[in-house]
Amino acid sequence: MSLKKPVYTAFVAFWACVFTIVLLDSLSGTDSGHPPPQAHSPDTYTLAEVARHDTLDDCWMAIEGKVYDFTDYIERHPTEPSVLEPWCGSEATEGMKTKGYGRNHSQRAWRAMEDYLIGELSEEE
Amino acid sequence: MSAGTAHRLVWLVALLPSLLFLATLAPGDLSSMGSALNTIGRLAGVAGLAMLLMAAILSARIPGVDRPFGGLTRLWRTHHFLGAGSLILLLAHPLLLAFSAGTTSLYAARTMLFPPLSDLASWSGWAALILMMLFLAPSFSFFGHPRFERWKKLHRLAGPAVALALIHGFWLSRGLPQWLNITVWSVFAMVALGAVTWRFVFSRRIGRRGCRVSKVERVANNVVELTLSPEHGKFAHEAGNFVYLAPYDPGLEAGYGEEHPYTLSSSPLEPALRIAIKDLGDASRAIQSIREGAHATIEGPYGRFFPNPRAVTDPELWVAGGIGITPFLARMRLLKQLGKPADACLIFCVQDEARELYGQELRSLASSLSGFRLNFHHFYREGPITREYIEKVCPDMAQRLLHVCGPRPLKDLVVQHARAAGIPVSSIHSEEFELL
Repeated sequence: MSLKKPVYTAFVAFWACVFTIVLLDSLSGTDSGHPPPQAHSPDTYTLAEVARHDTLDDCWMAIEGKVYDFTDYIERHPTEPSVLEPWCGSEATEGMKTKGYGRNHSQRAWRAMEDYLIGELSEEE
Repeated sequence: MSAGTAHRLVWLVALLPSLLFLATLAPGDLSSMGSALNTIGRLAGVAGLAMLLMAAILSARIPGVDRPFGGLTRLWRTHHFLGAGSLILLLAHPLLLAFSAGTTSLYAARTMLFPPLSDLASWSGWAALILMMLFLAPSFSFFGHPRFERWKKLHRLAGPAVALALIHGFWLSRGLPQWLNITVWSVFAMVALGAVTWRFVFSRRIGRRGCRVSKVERVANNVVELTLSPEHGKFAHEAGNFVYLAPYDPGLEAGYGEEHPYTLSSSPLEPALRIAIKDLGDASRAIQSIREGAHATIEGPYGRFFPNPRAVTDPELWVAGGIGITPFLARMRLLKQLGKPADACLIFCVQDEARELYGQELRSLASSLSGFRLNFHHFYREGPITREYIEKVCPDMAQRLLHVCGPRPLKDLVVQHARAAGIPVSSIHSEEFELL
C-alpha cells in the first residue's frame, strides 16, 4: 500500500487551509496586529458589579484591572466548569496565574481572553 | 510471540497516550462544536506525538532486535506507517485548534495559527512541524524520488523535530492531566533518546565492525562480489541476512564512508563474508572498482528472510529477480556445506541468458542438493511471470512456503499469483530494499 497519496494530500490540504484562514481574516478587515473591535470597550465596572455575575450561566471575572464576560467561554475551557465556577464574579488574576500546580496560563490563553473583554475595573468600590 | 503480534504491540504502545487522553476526557470537552474541535485537535496532537516518538524508537536499528518483528525491512514498514500517521495527525492538530478558535472569531483562528513571536511554546510546535515536512517529504516522494544519501541526510532532521515536538508538548501540556502528561512523555522521550543515542553514537563505536576487502570478483559487467575479512573475530550471521556496508577506499569516485544495505551472499559457515553488489546508483557504481585491501565497516546482521535457514523442513518455493538471487545463493551455499536435502523450487527471473548471475554456480549447487529444482525465467522470451508458468515448473506451489526477493513489480506479481493459488499470507516471505 502506497502512503504517498494520503500523506501528500494531507500536506497540500494543510497549506490550503492555513492560507484560507489567513486570507479570510485579512479580507474580513481585521488587522491581525490589533485585537478585534469588540475588545475596545470604554465601560468600567466596580468589583461589586462583577460580583453579581457569579454563576456559570453568567460568569464575569476581573483580571489585572480588566473585566471579562466568560459566560460563552465556560464550555470551551479545557478543564471542567466546576474549576472555573469559584472564580466567577471575583478578582481572578490569581486563578489565571496558578492553574494546575501553580503554573501560569499560556500566552495564548492570555491573548484569547481579549475576545471576552467587556471593560475596565473601576478603582471605586 | 509472532511477528504480527510484536507489530500489534508496537501500535498499541503508540496509541496508549491517545487511549489515556480519551479516558481522562471531561464532560464539557465535547459539549459544543468549538470544544469538540478543540478536543479532537488536542487528541490529534497527542496521537501524532506518540506515533512520532514510536517511529523514532523503531529507527534504532540495534542488530538482533529486528528478528522478533520479522526482520528490519518489516520493522521499517511499521516505522514508515507510524511516520505517515504522525505527519497527518500533526498537520491536523493546529488546523483543528484553529477551527475551534474560529467558532469565536476569524481573528482568534488566525492568532491560534500564528501567535506573536514571544509565544515560544507554539513556535516550537511550528518548527517541529516544518522540520517534519522537510525530512518526510522525500520519504513520501513529495517532489520525486530522492537519492538515498540525500534522503538519509534530510532524515537526520528527525532528531531536532522530535526534541522540538517534545518541548511543545511539555510546555503546553493540555493533552493529558499534568502528572500523566509528565510520566507518559518522559518515558517515551527517554526510550526515544536511548534509541537515537544508540543510532548516532554507540552504533558507530560498538555496532560497526572493521574489515578488509580481501577479494574483488566480477560476476557480471555490472555486478561485483566482494569478499570481506573481519579484522577482529568472526562475524556471526545467517543465510538471508543483510548488513550495512561503508567502504573507506580513498580512490572511490562516490560513496566514500557512506553506508548502504547489501545482502550477504556467503554461507555463514565460510570464514569470510561475501557481498554481491549491482551497479544501481552512484555509490554502488563506484564500489565496482574498489581496490583489494581497502578498509570497510559492516553493521548488522539484520533481517529474517528465512525463519529457519539451516534446513528446508517444509517444501519451499523461491522466486528471485536479478540481484535478488543473493539470499537464495547464500542459503544454497549453506545447505550444500551442511549436506542437507532441500525440497525447494527456485525460479530465477532474468532478462536473458547473459544476465543469469551466478548461473554456473547455481546449476552446480542445485544438482548437489537433493530434491532441489532450478528454473530460469527469461523475460525477453516469456514476458512477465504468470501463475501458469509457476504452476508448470512447480505444480504443488499452493502447498509451499514462498520466499520472493527482487524488484517491487516482480514481488507484487508473484505475491498476487501466490495468493490466487491459495498460499496463505503467513506462508509468504518477501525481501525488498525499496524502503521509501
